[in-house]
Amino acid sequence: MKDLDLDADKALAKEFLSNFADANGNDKYMNILQEVANRKIRAVEIDLEDLFNYKDLDEEFLRRVTENTRRYIGVFADAIDELMPAPTEAFPDDDHDILMTQRSDDGPENMDGSDPHQKMPPEIKRYFEVYIRAASKGRPFTIREVKASYIGQLVKISGIVTRCSDVKPLMQVAVYTCEECGFEIYQEVTARIFMPLFQCPSKRCDINRTKGNLILQLRASKFLKFQEAKIQELAEHVPKGHIPRTMTVHFRGELTRKVAPGDVVELSGIFLPIPYTGFRAMRAGLVADTYLEAMSVTHFKKKYEEYELREDEEEQIARLAEDGDIYNKLARSLAPEIFGHEDIKKALLLLLVGAPHRKLKDGMKIRGDLHICLMGDPGVAKSQLLKHIINVAPRGVYTTGKGSSGVGLTAAVQKDPVTNEMVLEGGALVLADMGICAIDEFDKMDESDRTAIHEVMEQQTVSIAKAGITTSLNARTAVLAAANPAWGRYDMRRTPAENINLPPALLSRFDLLWLILDRADMDSDLEMARHVVYVHQNKESPSLGFTPLDPSVLRAYISAARRLSPSVPRELEEYIASAYSSIRQEEAKSDTPHSYTTVRTLLSILRISAALARLRFSETVAQSDVDEALRLMQMSKFSLYSDDRQKSGLDAISDIYSILRDEAARSHKMDVSYAHALNWISRKGYSEAQLKECLEEYAALNVWQIHPHTFDIRFIDA
Amino acid sequence: MVGLPYDCLANPLGAVRSTFDKAIASGADPASFSGADWGALDVFRHFLSDQNGLSQVPILDHKSIRWIQPNTLVRFRGMIQDMLGNEFYVGAHKDGSVWRTNKFTDVSQFPMGSSPDMRIWERRLLYCVPVPGQNSWSVSSSDEMKYRSMDWASPQREKRRRSDDEAVDNMDTLVSSDGIEGPPGTKKMREDGHPYQATQSQDSISEATCSSSGALPDIDQDSLPCLVKIYDTPETDLKLNEVFEFIGVLTSDLDYQVDTGEYNEFENGFKEDDTLAHLPRSKVPYLHCFIHRKLAVHDFLQSSPMIEPQPHVVKEIREALLRHLTDVLGNDGLAAHFILLHLLSKVHSRVDTVAVGKLSLNLTGFSEESVSVFCSQLDLAIKNLLPFTHYVPLTVGYLNTASLAPKKDYETNRLITGGLQLAEGTHLTIDETQLEAGTLNSVGVDNARMLKTLMESQKVEYDFKYYKMDMAADIQLLIFSQGKSNICPADLVLPFQPSSVGSSQVSAEALEAWRWYLATLRTLPHSIEPEMQTVIENDLVEARKADRSLGSQDFSRLLTMGRLMSMSYGETTLSLEHWQMVKELERLRRERLK
Repeated sequence: MKDLDLDADKALAKEFLSNFADANGNDKYMNILQEVANRKIRAVEIDLEDLFNYKDLDEEFLRRVTENTRRYIGVFADAIDELMPAPTEAFPDDDHDILMTQRSDDGPENMDGSDPHQKMPPEIKRYFEVYIRAASKGRPFTIREVKASYIGQLVKISGIVTRCSDVKPLMQVAVYTCEECGFEIYQEVTARIFMPLFQCPSKRCDINRTKGNLILQLRASKFLKFQEAKIQELAEHVPKGHIPRTMTVHFRGELTRKVAPGDVVELSGIFLPIPYTGFRAMRAGLVADTYLEAMSVTHFKKKYEEYELREDEEEQIARLAEDGDIYNKLARSLAPEIFGHEDIKKALLLLLVGAPHRKLKDGMKIRGDLHICLMGDPGVAKSQLLKHIINVAPRGVYTTGKGSSGVGLTAAVQKDPVTNEMVLEGGALVLADMGICAIDEFDKMDESDRTAIHEVMEQQTVSIAKAGITTSLNARTAVLAAANPAWGRYDMRRTPAENINLPPALLSRFDLLWLILDRADMDSDLEMARHVVYVHQNKESPSLGFTPLDPSVLRAYISAARRLSPSVPRELEEYIASAYSSIRQEEAKSDTPHSYTTVRTLLSILRISAALARLRFSETVAQSDVDEALRLMQMSKFSLYSDDRQKSGLDAISDIYSILRDEAARSHKMDVSYAHALNWISRKGYSEAQLKECLEEYAALNVWQIHPHTFDIRFIDA
Repeated sequence: MVGLPYDCLANPLGAVRSTFDKAIASGADPASFSGADWGALDVFRHFLSDQNGLSQVPILDHKSIRWIQPNTLVRFRGMIQDMLGNEFYVGAHKDGSVWRTNKFTDVSQFPMGSSPDMRIWERRLLYCVPVPGQNSWSVSSSDEMKYRSMDWASPQREKRRRSDDEAVDNMDTLVSSDGIEGPPGTKKMREDGHPYQATQSQDSISEATCSSSGALPDIDQDSLPCLVKIYDTPETDLKLNEVFEFIGVLTSDLDYQVDTGEYNEFENGFKEDDTLAHLPRSKVPYLHCFIHRKLAVHDFLQSSPMIEPQPHVVKEIREALLRHLTDVLGNDGLAAHFILLHLLSKVHSRVDTVAVGKLSLNLTGFSEESVSVFCSQLDLAIKNLLPFTHYVPLTVGYLNTASLAPKKDYETNRLITGGLQLAEGTHLTIDETQLEAGTLNSVGVDNARMLKTLMESQKVEYDFKYYKMDMAADIQLLIFSQGKSNICPADLVLPFQPSSVGSSQVSAEALEAWRWYLATLRTLPHSIEPEMQTVIENDLVEARKADRSLGSQDFSRLLTMGRLMSMSYGETTLSLEHWQMVKELERLRRERLK
């Protein structure tokens, strides 16, 4: 069964190393070997993927390498020994080289016979370390999935590092000198524990029956860096009702010091048993401990920019992008268990997508992150929305205003308990750099803490001047805040400003502010009662009427969208400017200005439009994007002020009429196309159904005529 | 199967081996046995069910451990407190030309060379403890007399027994030879019939070393944890905090004394590497599990009256129980009704983030006098009715110091249990009446938050240092407080209005019947007919019209009450009558709140 032809495999390995050409036609491995020969690098990493892509692939060979990796590391090392080119650059000799030269000088005379202990093991000459790395494609195992059948094989797992030992030297080749004959004796060490030699095994000593004493030469021996770590399953991989599993990982040589506790890593390595020794072997009897001999370490990337798409994801995204309704579909898939709130979900989707950051020539930065504030009565699922967004975002921090002081949000200077040095520790906003920071109970924050957020929201940095440390940390984060109205519940008798209870300086920094109210409404009450009864009856949520997209698909789509940085074409500039000025005018006209329309509002419009363009995978902002942006802004305002409108006595239908009439009057035209009409009224926050109702009603009154097919409007009497 | 060459009770490993040999003889490849059974379990299943062997299997607990032989069949009832991952072992190996198996043992029965013909299999380790808060009436134990006369007690065993008795007598003269009511101090002498007598000095040394390591906070003298090794079972079968009965081999421990001290010299990495080192067998017995069975509440009833839930019987029991509760509660009938519903509640499904079926109750309005009288009385009554109960007097000091959430200790690689790691269906009483004004430290704030999440979503956050994990819980929560409790916002708040101090004498049969009633009715299915659904929907909408503050939680609570109400009558569909009763109860409760 064990008919391994290692020599043949060595030849195969040699052939692969010398002939493999990567995508650019370079001799990848020979270049690496040259670097090694020049003492530039130590690690020779053999990628299984390359082996797989190799033109003269021997499937059997590949299988043997994956299933008996440890042996094949030796095979590859032998092959590399034979292939190693001469150094092309001069480098200073170190102790090791001097020792090696000496050894090779007096090698021939001393070699007497084939005593294995006297033959210099190849390891001691090697400057390089060989690693075989699992293919990066394919899903890594969870620790739980690594079963007994994988022992000895190359596996790829993901996990979180929980503990790390110090890096320690591990003897790889022990070198002794004999007191009697003066020979160097070598002993290869493969385990963590070895039994030192005490008697010279050389032929000369044997013949002379002198039993030469051996002295361990630490300077001549070869040591490897060695580190032990524990990894634990990630929370999302643990089945319900189970405890995360752990695994021991050994790092050697160049792989040491790559991980720290708390890192989320993907490792490829060889799953090996540890033989027990000494008393433990007696005690443990049949049981074997196992560990993973690490071969490569990859840290998990948690930023959108570095999110790597898998092939199937790319396909799926392309399919979704072709679908016209992607904007609605994506928005609905956010927190599908929360009923309704479609516009809010759209806004949250845009928050996830964001707009590109702009850096002007003079060094001024304009943020691209959208800030959103959700304000509303208790129990309208604000916190759930927040938590869901954090889950979808690759990098998100959830915190509450009450629980985190200004220090907890921004940054803190702390004394390191070990070194007594002052160290800077980032707070929630700094940790959420390039991500999303959700702050619940925003209103319950102390005034002093809230000021810290001002800087973050516009400048996107956190400045700190404490304990002799003055510095500025990046906090390029989108802030998603949730707050309760001033008196716990929204008080209809008071003005919105009184209810909102946040300073205007802070409010103006939010691109969108939504008010979610719990209004008395027979339909929604019945809906709720039905839902609850359904849940109790069927023990599951009622079906949604659509299949929500997976959070992973959402994440992939958003990350793909974030790669674009759409620009505003010249012809739209005018349009946006006029829209902005009309909002300003409206505000000036009303006696009680509710909103603070500032330049920030204009930037908000641009940001939201850019985010919308990104969602369409378009490099330019279209007029429809701007219209949708204006509509969202209007809707967010309406959520605040719709009561006023009702007070003013105008119902939706007559309001739509007045909008249309005003617009027609402004352009001195008798005809209004349906598309334009829809555009105008949706900007004011009305729906298409309402428009149709209005058209019919006023057509019956002979105010206007409606074109039977295109629904274009013609005023009968201006 | 007559004339088996082995005895399932006394020599279960013999049974394992003989079936293995038989399977090999019939030409099976040992490699195919990885993660599979070769027929050994059938033998035990047959023995337990057909030959009615279950009652003959002794139950392992802190008392019986002193006299149960190693390598015999035992059963252990406990809650899975921690999962120690899996263990690889040499499952089968070739001894010369014969295949041998090591399944269900820790040590090989045959010498094992380093032959290449070894099969490595895996098993899972579960750390189990007796169910926290288990009341004494629900503990079934095996007393020795019953088993001593069993035929499997071989003469050899008798001999060992004697020598052991001598040793015990040396230790503690109080121990009578049958050792039934031995004081807990003699637990360490449980090495009954140990192949070679462990000398006392070794025993106490190993005990001293582990008590100094302090890794086992949950072992006290009266409860016996157990390390259960599970074979070939899908992972989803066994979950944390579930209560199981494990039937398997109690293994002998040849060399448990060789412990911590020796191997530390070699280990230069993590010396706590081996989790098992913290679980020396002198403290924790190992059980190799053949068969496991999930236990529900009614498995803990001593004698289950096997009656069908007949409507009139159920109704009678219900009336009697209600009377009893009313007496206990000082003639407050409304409170008794709510307590009854509360005692029947159970999380039966989770929809999104909502735990459907929970009904926590907050009795308010306790004055200093009524606390002393009623709290203890009610607590006692609940203790007598439910198998697992816990009573927590909430004080600032307790909040600030207690560790409620289980926490992973990476030093020992163990899950350190917390006050809220409780088995499914445990009843937890939180007495807030003793809470005084004070400052909470960060632990206190965390604990208060933990209680709140438990109340709201029946979840406990386990602390794994690098991340937290929510574990679903199913705990009935009852809170006593003066005003409405804000730390523990319960589903139902009811001002308690006792009018008299009474105590009721309860007969044992009545208690049995009530326990049976509570355990059985809890699991009844439930449905709502379409007509009833419309009625309910309309009622709910009406209610919301009248009071805007009602939310979906209140709706859900009313429906839960409806379910429990019809359940308390032993019915499986909600009738209009019961719905009206729920509405009436709710109306009375609201009146009191005013």
